[in-house]
Parts: sequence; structure tokens; C-alpha cells
Amino acid sequence: MSRRPAFLLAVLVLAGAVAAQERFIDVRQAMADALTAAKTAAAKSDWAAAGSSVEAARTIWARDVKPLIVEGVKTNSDFREYADRIGEVEADLEAASSAAAAQDAAGLAAKINAAIWGISHHPRGFDVPPPRYSTWDWVFGLSIGIGFCVFAIWFGLYLRRSYYSRYPKAVFVRKRK
Amino acid sequence: MYSNLVITAIYLALMFGAGIFFSRNIKNTSDYFLAGRSAPWFWIMGAVWATNIGFLHGYLAHGGAAYEWGLIQANFEWFQGPFGYILTGLFFIAFYWRAGIYTVPQFLERRYGNGIRTIYTLAWIFIFLVTIAAELYLGGMFLKNILHIPFWPTVFVLTAVVGSYMLLGGLGAAIMMEFVQFVIMMLGTMPLLFILLKMVGGFKGITSTLIGQWGVSAQYFSVLPDIHHPYGPGPWIVLGQCLVVTIGWCAGHQSMVQRNLGARSLYDAKLGYVAASIPKTLGAFLYIVPMVAAPIVFSQMGIFVEKSDAAYGKLILNILPQGMIGLFIAGLLSAGLSSIGSVLNSASTMIVKDIYERFFVKGKSDHHYFVAGRVATLSVIVVSLLLVPVVLKVYLIMWLEQLLLAMVLGPFMAVLALAIFWPRANTPGSLAGFLTGGAFAIVLQQVFGVNIFFQISWWSFVVSLAVTVAVSLLTPPPKKEKIEGITWQSNFEAMVGEVIEDRALSTAVRATGIKAKTIVLPPWYLNIKYWATAILAVQIALLLFFG
Repeated sequence: MSRRPAFLLAVLVLAGAVAAQERFIDVRQAMADALTAAKTAAAKSDWAAAGSSVEAARTIWARDVKPLIVEGVKTNSDFREYADRIGEVEADLEAASSAAAAQDAAGLAAKINAAIWGISHHPRGFDVPPPRYSTWDWVFGLSIGIGFCVFAIWFGLYLRRSYYSRYPKAVFVRKRK
Repeated sequence: MYSNLVITAIYLALMFGAGIFFSRNIKNTSDYFLAGRSAPWFWIMGAVWATNIGFLHGYLAHGGAAYEWGLIQANFEWFQGPFGYILTGLFFIAFYWRAGIYTVPQFLERRYGNGIRTIYTLAWIFIFLVTIAAELYLGGMFLKNILHIPFWPTVFVLTAVVGSYMLLGGLGAAIMMEFVQFVIMMLGTMPLLFILLKMVGGFKGITSTLIGQWGVSAQYFSVLPDIHHPYGPGPWIVLGQCLVVTIGWCAGHQSMVQRNLGARSLYDAKLGYVAASIPKTLGAFLYIVPMVAAPIVFSQMGIFVEKSDAAYGKLILNILPQGMIGLFIAGLLSAGLSSIGSVLNSASTMIVKDIYERFFVKGKSDHHYFVAGRVATLSVIVVSLLLVPVVLKVYLIMWLEQLLLAMVLGPFMAVLALAIFWPRANTPGSLAGFLTGGAFAIVLQQVFGVNIFFQISWWSFVVSLAVTVAVSLLTPPPKKEKIEGITWQSNFEAMVGEVIEDRALSTAVRATGIKAKTIVLPPWYLNIKYWATAILAVQIALLLFFG
């Protein structure tokens, strides 16, 4: 394949992936909005509205969000974090539904917050393995560190020496009034 | 909601008015491109930092990266940034100043000749255009999400505000506006940190929740993580980022350097750059530390975060009280406007000084180039606006900007260091080194699949250094008169006298002259060495605590 069609194909694939990601954002936002509406309604003791909002969120989850995750994870590793949390989100939604039925405002808010956090993007830095330092890492790291210091001192002294070899050290005086 | 909108509108109107006010005394190219060489050190300090920190290389993008990867992002603020500022202030600025230049490519030409100047100019103009477009895009999206106002009118208003005073006032207006914006940024965005820390129980509360309860990796809180870290391996941060990219950025980024060339004396330029590392260090508390605490707040309050870039906006929208959001937006807009303004000014300076005056219209009056500067500014505004939809749709362009930076900064650092400290470096050597280093950066990424920016920069620097030295040794040395005054080994005694006189004037003391071997000291609290030492001590303390 020549370079130009390959480039165009790459742009098309990228554009397709971007469009899919935009849709994934929109459906999760809709679900989060429904859950937030449930929390707001519960705070006003409007339990009928709270219950229907939780059910609306569950519908969006089952119809839009979950299928996108299940399909997406097959081709894109960005969906992995959401796929790993499917069970948690479903359990939180179930618990939120029960809390709405039991008119438990605190329990409902806690489960809704957990569900929204479940469909949110979590920092990738959370999963970085703990620090590992092999012998080679120590050698490499210390070489850079010590080398850097030695170079800085040598270079600083060189600059100082070369400067004062041309210009004798000046005598500093304070301002005369 | 409306109070935020009103505060934002008032802020933009004030910025517009202040910009026009500061533009009233701009009469020639020196005023327009170098602010008449009249800025004191504290203006330089504010302007350098405000130039550096915007939507893209600050609050929104760096804040997003801090949310994603943790405290490692603070290495820009606590380690390499101040290091680069101090080294550039102490060593490189003096050479630019003595060379009497307007742009960094001009310095390269004086030392090495035409070829390298043209390549460097074209690369940076492209980077600047993309940067302005990306800043406008980020600013428009941010205001759209926070204030629920349409994207395009917002982008046009931002462009009109910053474009108006840049078009009329050039660097003089930019530096004064940037200083004002620096103050607003600091005051407007600092409250977020305190509100947030109170919510999560201080820094201890953040670590005990994330590490103790959530089981988050300890590397989320490391400024210099181990070499296996997927985002920023510690040793490569030291080598590639600290020694090459940051110094290259501070000494080679036209916008950063131009603020210093606008200083009223070399002393002010140097102290301004060194002092800018103080707000640079504080910057981590404005947009890095809050974002490390953000996951706790998001999970506790049930705030949906679709991606890391959106995290900062979501945080302020949900944490700050209504009136304060408006003030915060003013602070954030200051960051964006100052960065856009400075890049706009630098792009137009390079277009006029490095392209137009050299290749198209030579030997015209100062007024002609002054008008050309305004036309260039307008052209850059228009082209950047046209690029916004591209940035909006094709994320590839940001990747291209990163690749270009990696291609440019490593080789630039190599040829600049050799230009100043090795008189034997010559034109063929620098050209071969610059091009080979740039090509090697592409090969590393495209063929070997290296994606860590710091690694690419380091190896392109090393290759460029080696090739420049080898080719220079194989070809005739440069003529002595060509490099006189712009290398470390030069005899710049006369210039030193002039510099001291400048310093004496600026600190209201009288110089007794270099020939008598007496130099008048500035007040102790304005001694650059003390400032640099104190700032480096703070960096070391921060690294020991968070490293």
C-alpha cells in the first residue's frame, strides 16, 4: 500500500474511533444526568420521581452504555476499565433502585454516587505497578544522577575558571552616598 | 449562572479596555516587537510565567494529565521548569541580549548562517499556529461547558479581545497585560486549592484515602517515578525533559525569550527569568495538586467525568460557589489570553523579522516593518481561527505538534549549547547536526515506536550533538570575527561595562566602571545568585519530599 492511501485510511479509522468515543461520552452523560435527577428528587422527598429517574438510568445503562462497553472492549483497550466495573455498576444500580423503593435518601445518594463514579473515567495512574528497582535500574539511575552532578560541578568550575582567567576578579563596593 | 456570565463579560471588557490603554504609546518596531526595551524585572517575571502557562500548557491540559497520572505532572513545576528558567536566565539570556537580536532564529543566523535560521523559523511558526488554535479550542470548550454559551461566538470574542491589543500594542501591551493577568491568575485560581484541601482533609487525607483505602499505586504520588513508569520514567525525565526539552523550551521558545529581550536591562532580563521560577513552582498548587485530590471529590459527590481533559472544569463547576466561579473563570481566561497573546506576538515577530524582511522586502523604513508587524498579527489570527475546526476534528494535529517539538528542541539544544560554549562549531556542522537530529526523532517514533517524548528528545539531542561536533571538526572553523561577542570565550569586556551601567541605572546606584575593577552591587535582596540558590533549595526540598 502506498503511503497516501495508508494515511487516509489511518485518518478515517481515527475519525471513526473519535465518533464512537463521542457517542460513548453522550450516553454516559445521559445516564449520569438521570441518576443526578434521582438524587435531587430524593432530597425533595419526591420518591416517585426519584424511582422513575433511577429506572431511566438503568434503561440507558442496559440499552446504550453496557452494549457499547461490551463491544468496545473487543477492539479498544480504552474500554477495559469500564468492562472491569460492569458488575459493580449493576450492583450499585440495583441497590439504588432498592433504596428508592425503601425511601432511604442517604443510601440512595451513596449508591448513585458510586454508580456515577463507576461509569466515569478513572485515572490510569491508579494502576501503575508499585516502584520496581532492579540492579540495572540502580546502576542506570545512579549513573545519571552522579554523572549529572559531576558534569555540573566540572562545567561550573570550567566556566568560572575560564571567565576569571580573562577578567580578574572585580572588587565589589557598596553604593557611596 | 448569570452572575458567572456577567463577571466573565466584565472581565473581558476590562481586558479589552486595558489592552487598548496600554497600546497608546507604541510607535516603532522596537516598541512593537520588544516593548521599547523598557520592562522592569517584575513585569518580565509575570509575563514569562503567564506566557508559559495557558489552557494548553497549564490549567486544562496539565491539570488533566495530573488527574490521569498523578503528581508526576508536578515535575514540570517543581523540578525541570525552575531548573530551565534559572539556567536560561543565568547563561543563555546574556548571549541573546549581547547579540542585539529580536528573535531566536536571528541568533542562530548570527552564529551559524542562514540555513538553520530558516528551518527553525518555519518549524516554530507552524507550532505557534497550532498552539493558538489549540488554546482557542480549549478556551471555547471550557466556557461552553461551564457557562453553557455557544462555542464559536466564544472563540470569536476571545480572539477579538486578545487580537485587539496585540494588533495595536505589540509586545509592550502584551507584557503589561500579562503582568495584570498573572496577578488575576494567582488570586483567582488559588482559592480552589484551599477549598479542596479542606474537603479532603489536607494532603494527608488525599494519600490516606487513595493509598490507604483505595489501594492506589504509590507512584501516583511520585514526582520522579521508576524507570518502568508508562508515562514518565524518572531517569528520562532527568535526561530528556530536564536537560534538553525544558532548557530548549526556555531558551528556544520565541515567546519566552522575547519577554526578556523587552527588559530595560540585562540585569532585569536575567532576574525576571530567574524570579519567574517562583510562580512556576507555585503553579503546581493551582492545577496539579487539586487534580490529584479530584478523584476523591468526584467519587464522594457523584460527579461524572468523561475524560481527564474535562476533569478540571468539572471540579470548579461543582466545588466553587457561584460568584467565585466567575472570578475563577477570569483567572483561567487570563492564563489563556496571555498565552495566546504572547504566541501571537512572537509568530508575527518571526514572520516579519525572519521571513518578510529577509526574503521579500528588504531595506524599507522602520514604519514599513511596524505596519507589516500588524498585518502579520492579523494574518496569524485569521489562520489560527481557520485551524480551530481542524484541531476540533483531527486530533492528529496535536500529535504533529508534539512530534515537531521533539524534532526541534533536542537538536536546537545541541546546536545552541555548542554555539555558545564551543567556538569550533561551524555552519555545516550545525546544519548537519540539526537536520540529522530532527530526522532521528522521526525515525525513533515511526520506525522504533518510541512514544515517550522525553526519550525522543534526549536521543535526538545526543545524535545532533555528535553529528555537529564530527562535521565541524571535518570542515574549516568559523571566522573569529563572526563569532566575536556571542560565545563564552568572547572578549565582551566593553559589553560587560554597558551591562553594569544598565544594572546600576535600574537599581538606582552608580557604577564606578569595569576598568577600575569595581562593580556596584545591587541590594542584597535583588542579587540573582541568592534568588537562584534559594529557588534551587526549594526545588530540592520538594523533590526529597515527593520524589
